[in-house]
Amino acid sequence: MKIALTIDLGGYFFSIDEDAYEELKSYLNNLEHWFSGEESSSEIINDIEVRMAELLRARLSDSRDVITIKDVREVIEVLGVPEDIAGNGGKESKGKSGSSGSHRMYRDPDKRILGGVCAGMGAYWRIDPLIIRVIFLALIFAGGIGIIIYLILWIVLPEAKTTAQKIEMRGETVDINTIKEAVKSEFEKVRKKMNM
Amino acid sequence: MDIDNAKAQMRKGVLEYCILLVLSVSSCYASDIIRQLKEVKVIVVEGTLYPLLTRLKNSGFLSYRWEESQLGPPRKYYMITEAGRDYLKELDNEWSSLVESVNLIRKDIV
Repeated sequence: MKIALTIDLGGYFFSIDEDAYEELKSYLNNLEHWFSGEESSSEIINDIEVRMAELLRARLSDSRDVITIKDVREVIEVLGVPEDIAGNGGKESKGKSGSSGSHRMYRDPDKRILGGVCAGMGAYWRIDPLIIRVIFLALIFAGGIGIIIYLILWIVLPEAKTTAQKIEMRGETVDINTIKEAVKSEFEKVRKKMNM
Repeated sequence: MDIDNAKAQMRKGVLEYCILLVLSVSSCYASDIIRQLKEVKVIVVEGTLYPLLTRLKNSGFLSYRWEESQLGPPRKYYMITEAGRDYLKELDNEWSSLVESVNLIRKDIV
């Protein structure tokens, strides 16, 4: 079971998976950010939202009426990332940085063994997660405190779900370029999986 | 320099001209413009169209009207203005002379 949300995009209602919603929201936020210096930026974003709604509607059918993250990513590929859309010289093409340099600890779902706590800590401190796993194992054998610490961290630390969160986890600046790189590498991963 | 980027830049340069050409025939809904531009492969990512439409509109070369649609919310139909037609004429001349210039150079080489 997954949680689905209802959104109004370009005058249409959609049911959308939670992760797909996050992806969509971060894309639209990036667009907004990118065009923020532009006269009538809200008009441009509105027009793009309308087009997005049309493209998403075309993907739905009677047997499938919830937007998935795959739909969102494919539509973004059709529409282009903000850099491609706006990047024709001038102030936009310099790449405005987003929430710069924020650095948070998350659980890393991509490299997890259990809950992704050690992988997330490794990403945060930029060290091999193996070192942290060894420390945790040592703490478990030395009286079991490791298990409790691990469980607490599992509960407390949020999972890095969106691309922006994954970048934040590694402490890189969240801007268009890093997001683009991260999304690209995720596409590659998916592509490799499909080939296998 | 990679070839895809060079190609994309070349096509992007004439995008504005192509939008005005499409609209000089009849007023269009943005998605119809995209379809026509895609057929001739002038546009790579769809999103590039929208900032251009808005900039052309702000410069007074395009205007739009809202039209009711059977399929959903009202749609924005873009049309070319008189100033837009003059602007297009200039671009027409420029395009012809550009093609001529490039062909002259190519002839010398090939």
